[in-house]
Amino acid sequence: MLPSFRAAAFVFLLFVATWAAWLLFGKDAPQGVEPTPDAPPAVEPVPDDLVLPEAIDLPDPQPRITNLETVEDKTELVADWLLDFSDKLRRRDFSSAARWFSPRFAGHSLAGLPVSGEERLHVDARRRTWDAAAAGVVDRDAFLAGIEELIGPWTRMESALWKVKGAEFQAGDGERWGKIKLFLHMTGTRADGGVSALGGWGWLRVAREEGLWRIQRFQLTSLAETWHEGALFSDVSAAAGIAHQGLRFGQPGNQSFAWNGAAGGDVDGDGLWDLFVPSDGRNFLYLAREDGTYSEEAAERGVEHPEGGTGAVFFDHDNDGDSDLVVGQVGWHDAEGSVGGRRLQLYENDGSGHFEERSAALGLDEPVVAYSLSVFDYDSDGWLDVFACAYGRVEAEHNNSWTEATNGSPNALFRNLGGRGFEEVAERAGVRGNQWSYASAAADFDGDGDVDLYVANDYGSNRLYRNEGDGTFRDVAPQLGVTDVGNGMGTSWGDLDADGRLDLYVANMSSTAGNRILGRLGDEIDPDTLTLLRKLAAGNTIFEAEADGAFSALPSSAGGVNASWAWSVSLCDFDLDGRLDVFNTNGFVTGDLPHDT
Amino acid sequence: MVASSAKSKSAVFATEKVGNAAYLDRHNLQMFQDGRSFSGNERDKLFFNRGDGTFADLSDLSACDSPNDGRAVIAFDADDDGDVDLFVHNIQRERHALYRNEIGERYGSFVKLRLKATSSQHEAIGATVIVHGPHGPVAQVLSRGAGFASCQVPELVFGLGAAPAAEVEVRWPGGAVEAFGLVAAGSRWVLIEGEGSPRPIAARERVLPEPLPRGLKLGLGDRVPPLALLSAEGGVEALDVAEAAGDVPLYLNFWASYCAPCVAELPALQALHESGEARVIAISTDAPADSGRAFALFEARGARFPCFFIGARGDERRGLAGLESVIDLERLPIPTTLVLSPGGVVERILRGPLREE
Repeated sequence: MLPSFRAAAFVFLLFVATWAAWLLFGKDAPQGVEPTPDAPPAVEPVPDDLVLPEAIDLPDPQPRITNLETVEDKTELVADWLLDFSDKLRRRDFSSAARWFSPRFAGHSLAGLPVSGEERLHVDARRRTWDAAAAGVVDRDAFLAGIEELIGPWTRMESALWKVKGAEFQAGDGERWGKIKLFLHMTGTRADGGVSALGGWGWLRVAREEGLWRIQRFQLTSLAETWHEGALFSDVSAAAGIAHQGLRFGQPGNQSFAWNGAAGGDVDGDGLWDLFVPSDGRNFLYLAREDGTYSEEAAERGVEHPEGGTGAVFFDHDNDGDSDLVVGQVGWHDAEGSVGGRRLQLYENDGSGHFEERSAALGLDEPVVAYSLSVFDYDSDGWLDVFACAYGRVEAEHNNSWTEATNGSPNALFRNLGGRGFEEVAERAGVRGNQWSYASAAADFDGDGDVDLYVANDYGSNRLYRNEGDGTFRDVAPQLGVTDVGNGMGTSWGDLDADGRLDLYVANMSSTAGNRILGRLGDEIDPDTLTLLRKLAAGNTIFEAEADGAFSALPSSAGGVNASWAWSVSLCDFDLDGRLDVFNTNGFVTGDLPHDT
Repeated sequence: MVASSAKSKSAVFATEKVGNAAYLDRHNLQMFQDGRSFSGNERDKLFFNRGDGTFADLSDLSACDSPNDGRAVIAFDADDDGDVDLFVHNIQRERHALYRNEIGERYGSFVKLRLKATSSQHEAIGATVIVHGPHGPVAQVLSRGAGFASCQVPELVFGLGAAPAAEVEVRWPGGAVEAFGLVAAGSRWVLIEGEGSPRPIAARERVLPEPLPRGLKLGLGDRVPPLALLSAEGGVEALDVAEAAGDVPLYLNFWASYCAPCVAELPALQALHESGEARVIAISTDAPADSGRAFALFEARGARFPCFFIGARGDERRGLAGLESVIDLERLPIPTTLVLSPGGVVERILRGPLREE
């Protein structure tokens, strides 16, 4: 392989795995790419003379298109086209869905298959597998009727996804067709309030018929349903009075990349957990009421402004027994054009749950491009200090490396001066750094009595700052095996294997497209590069703490890590069975259109 | 990414051309304003620990897997019933989401712990608590600010499985390890450094309200406005529920021909309608092209109460609201039935099929 092509492939993989890809979307469409395939305006009836084959036989294209760019273009084209189809299915608009099929379509029916296995999963979820090999061959209308029958019991269709997991296309000037490896996924709500999910694999033959792409064949490889009787969680936001309806992302009023955080604490000392939510346009302070609802009182209690806060933490900065509040800001959209961040806001609690902003008076002058904050007493002097992860001045410059960027904004560590103010000591303490830091989590991982800090970085390796006990930190991530190169987004400590030691969870990003391309590159790429690329496209990492103080990563086959574009993570025992589970927030920006990038 | 190629992407990156603020604003926001996704429809994830070194991905079944692009999460016991609920901050639409844990104590009991340090700052941030549960010692750290831009509440919930009690110990900031002895399942405690035994905390259980159907823009006590709808023949008709209700409750039933539970309950709704104890009016949410099929099915099931169809626009001049002003049809689970008091005020919301009551 030519080095230049390898470099191009490498950069492309990074592209699909990193948010910076937005930079490209304003570009004009490249030349020579065919337009999005449209569905025909009307559904033609299935012809009377259609004779269905006895079996669905789908040979591979021969010869196939081998040029990576060409085959990726076609793959994405068909992938988007099938997402449009998925959207019709989600609406159970079967009349429109029929337009994606050739009138002469023949394929395996999804309905009426014999059950080949049933098993009980965690928390009494169930899984039923059907015998795909027994599927009968039907025409288009019967195929769609089969899907309608299969999802008929659902009171609500939650999602439908026909996702391209691989594709090969016929090369040459003849008939234009491709063979698609397909992942089918549909979820819906059951009448008992639980959720059901259908998942399966299959192959499609898609071809151009009279200038339009059509599905000609469908071959089912596997089909299973998982479900749970009754809900595992219920969304009570609206009923509890905390349902803020926001605008679509990108609309004026909600177009800041200042990803807003959330903080929980007891603001008014009544023993109930309140929520502070920095948000779009303004902040929200939800006070918990005895009756199970919440009362939004940010304005009355002095924390409504400014908008656009990121990380927020409740802590007692002056040791007077109540919960004060510190809030970060990225400050990208300051009126004066500053891109260097803003100072943290510190709101002092008067003991009754009313706040006064005292940042300037307390010397919080240093601007920080802050996303996540972690509060702990790093110097063990009895006063809580504030660490602020700093990202980068993204509007002014781009990361100078994908694997080890060094032009991020400096982190800040605000040392608490006895409740009377703060001084910024990141440099002195050895945690200033110049990475693009998104998230941090503090814990005494080595059990030596002082609190250490893990920092997840977007473009490059992460840091495990071991507290040396003398007011400084030392990065021990390389020797303890937790650098975790990849797009670090979030992190938490918790004991996932019940051995009494704190393990480490790091949220990263995984990429379907990246993994697909890696599969195509095969052995055309040198092993070291391939390993790095696989890591970048892989997803989250669980590091289990070992008895010798080092960490070892669980293989991704253990599960618990495949969360696409992950952000925050909570390690909690949701089913109270004595083992910590994992919850991940996930996804970058979901638009109204079914197409995705 | 419809119209782009590996070449164009790599070419841009090869130049290391990086945008400025104006560029970012103009192009990337335009993409999202156009309704495009970038790593969209990636739902939040819930992985259960199987205890054998592997995890079960039950996100699909969790109903806390919002597609609204979550960022921060606070996992905490919002109602003090012993299980861990979730608050998620999304970037759009239903931005603030509170999910009530419905698993409860089906698979185990709990111990809830708060901390108070005496030899270091009182909040004991960074303290490690170890509870010797049924599968071994489980460690959790009391943290303030972890995950991504997320600050958990200062209370740790430990599951105990079927164990009736568990030994608890704390490694305090400063390094002292203190045993607090055995605590019983289903209890709440504050652990004060140096006291060696826990102090009980009274339960503050409060009942989080029942969920409202997603997509319903009306709450209890709201009045349903006069609506513009279509008849089975396709003509625009006005439905004024205040008028229609009369002196008995009105059941406003949302259904569709593709929804098996909806179709199944049509005879029960007809019986209710015939009983005179209530009136029933149905609104089919079938796609307009399918309304003929829906009405045929409606009649075939013996339903004779009025049935309307979607597809009419609101008409301000006639004082008629479009259905979209009260329902987000994309999101409403069906069947959903609004029970309206005379006057058209929402008195009850029946989620799912009618139950014998």
